[in-house]
Amino acid sequence: MNKEYNPKIIGFLCNWCAYTGADLAGVSRLNVPSSLKAVRVMCSGRVNPLFVLKAFLGGADGVIIMGCHPGDCHYQKGNYYARRRFVLLQKVFETLGLDFERLALSWVSASEGPRFARVTTEFSEKIKKLGPNPAKEEIFL
Amino acid sequence: MSTVQNEFFKKPKKGAVLHAEGGIHKAILDFLRKSLEKKCFDALFIPVKVHDTDSYVWVLLKDKSLLNEANPLPPVISVQGGRALSTLTKHGEMNLQIAAIMRPCEIRAVIELFKLKQVSLNNITLISIDCPGAMPLSDYISNPKEMAKRFNNLFETWEENESLRPICIICHRFSLSSLLPSISRQSASVELEGIDSPASDIHIGLVGGNGEKIFLMPVSSKGEEILEKLEIATEDSLEDWEIKEKELRDKKENKRKKILQELKAKIEGPKKFVAVFDQCINCHNCMRVCPICYCRQCYFDSKTLRLSPEVYLTRAKERKSLRFPLDTLLFHLGRMSHMVLSCVSCGVCEDACPMNIPIAQVFCIVADQVQKSFGYVPGRDRREPPPLRFFQEDEFQEVEMQYKKTISREETQNA
Amino acid sequence: MPKVLKIKKGVEEGINDFLKFLLESGKVKGIFTLKKTNENGAVSYSLITHLDELKKAVPLFPLMPVNAGKVLSAFTLLEATKDTVAAVLRPCEIRSFIELVKRFQGSMENFLLISLTCGGVFPLKSAVNGEVKKLLPIYWESIKKGNISSNIRPTCQTCEHFIPYQADMTIAIVEKKNTDKECNIFLNTDKGENFAKEAPGDIVFEEMDTNEITELKNKRKTQKKKLYEELGIEKLEFKTLIKIFSACLSCHACSHACPICYCTLCDFESKIFEYKPSSYNMELNQKGGIRVPPGTLFFHIGRMVHMGVSCVGCGMCSDVCPVNIPVSMIFSMVGDSLQKMFEYLPGKDIEESIPFGTFKTEEFAEIGE
Repeated sequence: MNKEYNPKIIGFLCNWCAYTGADLAGVSRLNVPSSLKAVRVMCSGRVNPLFVLKAFLGGADGVIIMGCHPGDCHYQKGNYYARRRFVLLQKVFETLGLDFERLALSWVSASEGPRFARVTTEFSEKIKKLGPNPAKEEIFL
Repeated sequence: MSTVQNEFFKKPKKGAVLHAEGGIHKAILDFLRKSLEKKCFDALFIPVKVHDTDSYVWVLLKDKSLLNEANPLPPVISVQGGRALSTLTKHGEMNLQIAAIMRPCEIRAVIELFKLKQVSLNNITLISIDCPGAMPLSDYISNPKEMAKRFNNLFETWEENESLRPICIICHRFSLSSLLPSISRQSASVELEGIDSPASDIHIGLVGGNGEKIFLMPVSSKGEEILEKLEIATEDSLEDWEIKEKELRDKKENKRKKILQELKAKIEGPKKFVAVFDQCINCHNCMRVCPICYCRQCYFDSKTLRLSPEVYLTRAKERKSLRFPLDTLLFHLGRMSHMVLSCVSCGVCEDACPMNIPIAQVFCIVADQVQKSFGYVPGRDRREPPPLRFFQEDEFQEVEMQYKKTISREETQNA
Repeated sequence: MPKVLKIKKGVEEGINDFLKFLLESGKVKGIFTLKKTNENGAVSYSLITHLDELKKAVPLFPLMPVNAGKVLSAFTLLEATKDTVAAVLRPCEIRSFIELVKRFQGSMENFLLISLTCGGVFPLKSAVNGEVKKLLPIYWESIKKGNISSNIRPTCQTCEHFIPYQADMTIAIVEKKNTDKECNIFLNTDKGENFAKEAPGDIVFEEMDTNEITELKNKRKTQKKKLYEELGIEKLEFKTLIKIFSACLSCHACSHACPICYCTLCDFESKIFEYKPSSYNMELNQKGGIRVPPGTLFFHIGRMVHMGVSCVGCGMCSDVCPVNIPVSMIFSMVGDSLQKMFEYLPGKDIEESIPFGTFKTEEFAEIGE
């Protein structure tokens, strides 16, 4: 199976900030990597760590969660919990020797179109360097 | 109530005797590979060894290269085949033709689960295979190479081996005989018209082959079609296999009677029976690995059995002490009453018990008796409904005798 | 300086005398402790209310048939106990009970919690066929010498939290050389002191032997490194994880034995994670083969995410695993690193919130930028 490596990145974007920011990036014709598949959630705090884990074990090369900046959450506290859950999941990955760099969390507000483009491009480059996720080919998961 | 007869229904008379140069496992895998290549099936469901380990797991495979690590009859039963197939088809069938190759007890569990609506058999071809038994899981884990070697030696002579699991040593349902309907079947479910009764579609006989040949035989009409499509002639006599199989079955049946009688004497009666569970830690592993126990939330794990501390303390005062976790016997006897009619004595419960309680053998004693009193053999006939699902107006009259003798006589007197 | 109830008898006899006093005096209505189930080494936790049964009690028996935190939680799940009940548990069992109480799965009210400085317990396999009886003398010898007994649970060999945090009383075991002559019960709380009034023995002032404790802690730290290497888990990676969990049967015995996993219906046993035919189809087409039941690694890593912050390293999970996967070593390894990151010690303080139920506005500032 010698396919060319086209990374697949799953992004969980919060409706109020990140997704709107992504929209703005699109409308402004900024370069956003095609490898990103966006999943809109109402708040980054809605992201269950198991979603990220399932995406990773399902073969996603990278998973990124994007939400409002701390203090600006539409629901006041959601992103604080998201931050905690993210560091927890990342630490689990790190301890188990799984590529914790394939997971990312970033704050992007609704007006930050260029920031969205920059963050996703940088992440995509990193994922490209890391190579394909070994879980993609593994049958005995 | 009808009695169980010893004759079997539609037993195949002829089949294909294939030579197994390179061993039985290779011959079977070659047959399966060919069937994939000829598109009789789209995928196979078979145990595969995990790279660089000694563990076998069920794999649904399309990729033929995976067959290099596959083993149709591994030395151990890791996950019961019925349980595995149920996770695959619980929510409906895949639009693929799948062939599943399993031990007879696993096939019978599949059929029982089919009756309980936990398995969909559309698009599934069941291939059963003669089983010499399985090694105890914990012994295999401690010494896989040695246990695998002892297991592989069994295929030549099929003689008794003490290394096997106790439940396998007394198993007389290791071949096709338990996968065929009885002539005197009680009633056929009307909903299942058009379904072939036998449990498996194709059977691979190994007994009597001395490790040098395998006996391929069609059991259902689907099996006949498949062997035709594969252009495998089924004109050979199966006598070598039939004779040896009956001989071995009789021998094992006698052994079973003797051993279970001895065990029963050791465990019967309240004191001895309670002592069986002295070491039980109430982990409920036995229930979780059991193919028949399919409930997502077992009754015995539910909140229904939770009571206030006052009640527990009162109980403790009455008995001077109260063992925790509670309800050890309630769990085992309760589980027994829930599933023993469908118990196929596969023994995965005993493998999973961390305290080495001979739970499979204990359940076997009860299962044999209960199934006999209903004339029911779980898993032999797709159209035979489980006994508790129907009734006949006059049956089990011996249970009502006492009532008829005493109370109903009083009533007629007082009338 | 701490108060100690000193009984001039061997520690086993001493604690039995003290428990007898508790029951006889009516100070407690019942005692949770290990009791012999038969003469062949089988023991189980029992709620004992009568002196006859108390004769069979073996509070210090080095076996954990079930994590007693789970037992106390089951006892007080619906409501707190109105009658005072004493319970003799190991440090990790108290810690699990407290983690469960934080999750509203029990209540600490009206309990007299008695614990000990713990020398570890044998794996359940040793209890099969009465093997553990033969190992007892060797066990007590090692403890007297301040050594790690070689056939106890791996998590016990490497446990650094063998001094109980929330006990009302602590029986001094591992730091004492004279446990065959003296029974010393440290009275940690006012409650402990009250219950010790009029007990057989003398109440004296004595310091805990910190030197012995520190030495044992260091020995266990060294043992941890050694065991990680022996099990091949000192450097984990994707391939190693696949190998370690290759034998997994998805029986979920580990999660059901775990005191922290209290969910009546576990996520991983519920319908949400049952594969639909379309998922099987998709994965089969992508990879050419799919393991059934699916989601082995997903279950284990998912469980780590759910309970890792509260893992007390009791080792029940490894003991109940039918295929000898070193679950407890891996889970406690992850638990340790999570607990270090959140500066959280499960079961130390009932007031301390579980890390994902709370947050600080300024923390992990480097994340997200």
